Amino acid sequence: MNPFFKNNDDFQTPQWAKGLSQEGKAAFLGIGLPTPKTEAWKYTKLRELETDDYEFAPLADKGAMPKEEFPFACAKIDFLNGQWVKTSNLPQGLTIKPLSEAFAQINQIADIQNYPFAALNSAYLEQGVFIEVAANRQIEMPLVLSYHTIPENRNLLENIRNVIILNTGSQLDLVEYYSYTGEVKSRYLVNQVNEITVKENAQLNHYKFQNEAYKANHIALHAVDVETAGTYKSFCLQKGANIARNETKVKLKGLQAKAQVDGAYVMNGWATLDTTTDIEHLFPQTTSSQLIKGVVGGDAKGVFQGKIHIAPNAVQTEGTQLHKALLLSDTAEIDVKPELEIFADDVKCSHGAASGELDEEQLFYMQSRGISREDAKKMLIDAYLEDVFARIENENLRAWFKDLKQNS
Amino acid sequence: MTTPLLEIEELHARVGDKEIIKNFNLTINEGEIHAIMGPNGAGKSTLSYVLTGKPGYEVTSGSVRFKGKDLLSLSPEERAREGVFLIMQYPVEIPGVPTSAFLKQALNAQRKHLNLPELDNVSFIKLLREEGKKLGIDSDMLKRFVNVGFSGGEKKRLETLQMAILKPSFAILDEADSGLDIDALKVVADGVNSLRDEHRSMLVITHYQRLLNYIVPDFVHVFADGHIVKSGNKDLALELEEKGYAEFVKER
Repeated sequence: MNPFFKNNDDFQTPQWAKGLSQEGKAAFLGIGLPTPKTEAWKYTKLRELETDDYEFAPLADKGAMPKEEFPFACAKIDFLNGQWVKTSNLPQGLTIKPLSEAFAQINQIADIQNYPFAALNSAYLEQGVFIEVAANRQIEMPLVLSYHTIPENRNLLENIRNVIILNTGSQLDLVEYYSYTGEVKSRYLVNQVNEITVKENAQLNHYKFQNEAYKANHIALHAVDVETAGTYKSFCLQKGANIARNETKVKLKGLQAKAQVDGAYVMNGWATLDTTTDIEHLFPQTTSSQLIKGVVGGDAKGVFQGKIHIAPNAVQTEGTQLHKALLLSDTAEIDVKPELEIFADDVKCSHGAASGELDEEQLFYMQSRGISREDAKKMLIDAYLEDVFARIENENLRAWFKDLKQNS
Repeated sequence: MTTPLLEIEELHARVGDKEIIKNFNLTINEGEIHAIMGPNGAGKSTLSYVLTGKPGYEVTSGSVRFKGKDLLSLSPEERAREGVFLIMQYPVEIPGVPTSAFLKQALNAQRKHLNLPELDNVSFIKLLREEGKKLGIDSDMLKRFVNVGFSGGEKKRLETLQMAILKPSFAILDEADSGLDIDALKVVADGVNSLRDEHRSMLVITHYQRLLNYIVPDFVHVFADGHIVKSGNKDLALELEEKGYAEFVKER
């Protein structure tokens, strides 16, 4: 039995989404929920999703949205239980519209035939926003998408689709921030798809902080097209949730298009945090670089699947990938699957993976100077993650992320 | 009037299955400098790790009292905060941890333990610069990661700087001269000597007599087969330099 179509009588597909929804439903029923035999999901087990009974988030009381304070000036879009409730401080050059006014842009980039959760997302299409940056506009302030969940003991399904377009020569810092209030044991599922287009010479810096309740699940797909000399840079910090996947699919679709896909995850308990990337170099002189670092304790499991594909004509390209994890306990686990598919000559491509433990010699050295073992561990973990945080260009955001890693 | 600072009695310790410290006895009074000399492999470094509480170094019997307290029941960090400090033979590199942040954390942990207010950034940096200057350590070096890319001499100077900042009541210098040329040795020795006073004691562990020309001990002990086999004054070091350790090493 498929849990996602059981209790859907109360779901009203909006008129504009009917065609897309039927398409999505057909695709989802065709592919089905991934099983342990599904190659793309072999390390991240979804058993717990199957037993859940999801209900669609009812319209939320806008007043319940907490006032999140961000320690930097920003434009902001608030989502409560998956629904767009407020927009504030929008600068010139940035257009925000409801999806109903931009449905022609949906499924232009995400491939619902090959991504079951994107198909599911299409089936229940309703929530999300369309974001567009005007040509040659450099938006100074970050745009924060703040997603908040108040589950109140229900198994909510939050189904969000955003379409983000950066026109020629534009630039934007986009921050996605996930939080919740209520029981830490709340179960809910965020299933999100972002369809992103970075046009010629444009640059999107995409940041994300995932800190869902520890029994909640979170599945996100960022489908990104980067055109000539455009740049897509991302950094995702994952800390929360029971099962979470942050998946990034980038197509470098023009000469000298660039991608940098970074991430860090810090986890304990029984969580499974999954980082999956797939970067297709389709044009010459394209470059990609990935640095993912994890710190895994308790009985938790970190998963990294990273693919670099270089098409036959994509000569003079460069793709690098590095995943490193620090295991803090004997029962912590990491599963890593790097894949290189290279069909062109004259390319530079590399991947690497390493895992290790905290160094007892270093810990003792610090303790022998009076630093407590716990503080010494914290300092070594910070040191371990330092290089990936150093790749965050925006200083305010870098400091903010370091703080989130520590304190939330 | 002498006050004992460190009292080691009938100490036995092992690493894995191997007993290395065997019936070791030594009392160090306040203000005294003791040197322990011995052949390589005799377990001199083991003694320094046992006293500082390194995991893997197991005390099987005996006692160590420090300022009257049972030292062996304390964690490594508690021993450090009580005033035990080890200048290591091979200081550990810690990539990603800036030297000044490391030192600040260490000093404030100690101050907290002593119920003193923690130092803020400004006062700490001032202290660090003053003490660093005496040892020829500039602020660039302090910005670098702990011991990473430091030469042998720089590492030992940093150890000495840590000692100057933490002001321990008891310092163990484990082969402090290894890897140092004579100029670097003098800088380290000057740094250590400037911290000598009537209350602070030191245990200088060394294979060679050379270091003892610069840090002159009150007592010299010969360490072999897990314990002290002979004690004397500083002249014993000269004698050892001349005759070697042969008479103390058991025939195999």
